[in-house]
Amino acid sequence: MSSLAIKVENLKKEYITKDSTLQVIKGIDFELEKGEIAMLLGPSGSGKTTLLLMLGCILEPTSGRITLDDEIVYEDRWILKDTRKLRREKLGFIFQAHNLIPFLNVQDNVTLLPQLNGIAEVEYKKKAKEILTYLGIEDKTNYMIGSLSGGQSQRVAIARSLANDPRIILADEPTAALDKERAISVMELLRKLAKEQEVAMIVVTHDDRLLPYFDSVLKIDDGYLTKTKASETKLH
Amino acid sequence: MFEDVKYQIRNVEGVSEAAAMTFQTIQIPTSLKQERVTAVGYEIGKIGKPQNIISGRELAREHYEIVVDTKLGFKLDDKIPLGRNIYTVVGITKGAVSSSGEALVYISLKDAQQLQFLASNDTIRSDRARGIKDTTSTIVNTIVAKVSSGYSPKDIAENIKKWKHKSAYTNEKQVEILTKNVIEKSSKQIGLFTIILIIVSSVIISLIIYTMTIGKIKEIAILKLIGMPNIEIVKMIVQQSLVLGFLAFVAGNIFANAIKSKFPKNVQLLPEDSVGLFFVVVLVSVIGSLFGIYKALKANPAQAIGE
Repeated sequence: MSSLAIKVENLKKEYITKDSTLQVIKGIDFELEKGEIAMLLGPSGSGKTTLLLMLGCILEPTSGRITLDDEIVYEDRWILKDTRKLRREKLGFIFQAHNLIPFLNVQDNVTLLPQLNGIAEVEYKKKAKEILTYLGIEDKTNYMIGSLSGGQSQRVAIARSLANDPRIILADEPTAALDKERAISVMELLRKLAKEQEVAMIVVTHDDRLLPYFDSVLKIDDGYLTKTKASETKLH
Repeated sequence: MFEDVKYQIRNVEGVSEAAAMTFQTIQIPTSLKQERVTAVGYEIGKIGKPQNIISGRELAREHYEIVVDTKLGFKLDDKIPLGRNIYTVVGITKGAVSSSGEALVYISLKDAQQLQFLASNDTIRSDRARGIKDTTSTIVNTIVAKVSSGYSPKDIAENIKKWKHKSAYTNEKQVEILTKNVIEKSSKQIGLFTIILIIVSSVIISLIIYTMTIGKIKEIAILKLIGMPNIEIVKMIVQQSLVLGFLAFVAGNIFANAIKSKFPKNVQLLPEDSVGLFFVVVLVSVIGSLFGIYKALKANPAQAIGE
């Protein structure tokens, strides 16, 4: 087993319309170590979400190769037939809006994936309790989502993304809806998780102040991606 | 037929008792409106008397007494004007209805004949001026007979047909005719309405489930994004539809049982009908969820992220 969580090779994505072909991703290569937390930056329309969707096996690339947790999932076609199973078992998602299921309580939101993965009830409840305690919201276990604050909801969303012991977490502006203090608190938490549980994370954010919490910066512009160390990156 | 036919029937071997009866549809004034009922005229003390009397008594006098069904809302000693006379309610039955489901009222045979044939003075004068003779009041609709033990009702019916040239039916035959000709036709008609209602209900359930699915399309996209298999999403939508259908089934049953006695005609709600309806509700709920399922399966998980 290698120490790589994500390996992307010559990944391209084209959108073909009747009159033209739009190349959104023009052949990108990068690697992410286990436990590495990367900031994904880029102007609007640069292909950040497209990249995130391709890494999440939701959007099919045009060509290239994607290896997730030592498993080739895409090589000019989907190698893995059941991409949803991969998402269920190895990936975690955190969104800008918490995107929790409003008609389920905190525990049910968190245990949704382990239930689908066939984990025993005793086990997934124990795990949910551990995660919620770890995130400092164990007292909200039976609360409905509507009764939580923005910060608490985002913590529940993080808890949900951790419930299936993911190897990779893809986060789309998880702090955008939070004030500065809460945003920092969430980033501290994500970093802690990445390091303690060796989870690779790609976090889309435009907030320069959060740079110290990242190991690396993935900057995507005009369909190309450059990777730099966060400590050596200056943002404007 | 003329009333005296009963004497001929009474003399048939094996017949122990025979009585004349009349049936006519009349309107009687209730507290709310004119109610259409079937008036049964029978010979007091003979066969044909009202069954299931829940209060009061059967007729004892030859004139101006009436037994009514509880559905009509009368109380004992209430006065009901019919034709030229006023009748007193002496008994109340429960569930006495004609083959078409109208409430039955019982009056004496004499009163029934008078009610049917005795026209108003103006009408009599007008009829006489036009040369119409007085109509007879000794006509009846049927003769009912009781068979002595040891005799076959079927043989006696055949005998009456052969020698008295009258149509005669046994109890079983009557039930068969009633079931086949009257109830079966009504059932088919109600069945047709039921089918129309089921189709309408399916469309309504489909629209509700479809609308509810559209309202949750973001959540469905999230579930797909985090890896929920399609089969689980389909299960959720079908479950939702079944819960709605079940609630409607329970509410509908309670409502139907609560208002069935208010219907102008007798409504029978049998347990097996409810069981049948339950399965129809399940089927309709599943069918009704198909559009919602289609929409959910088409939901793009990328919608959960969105650029």
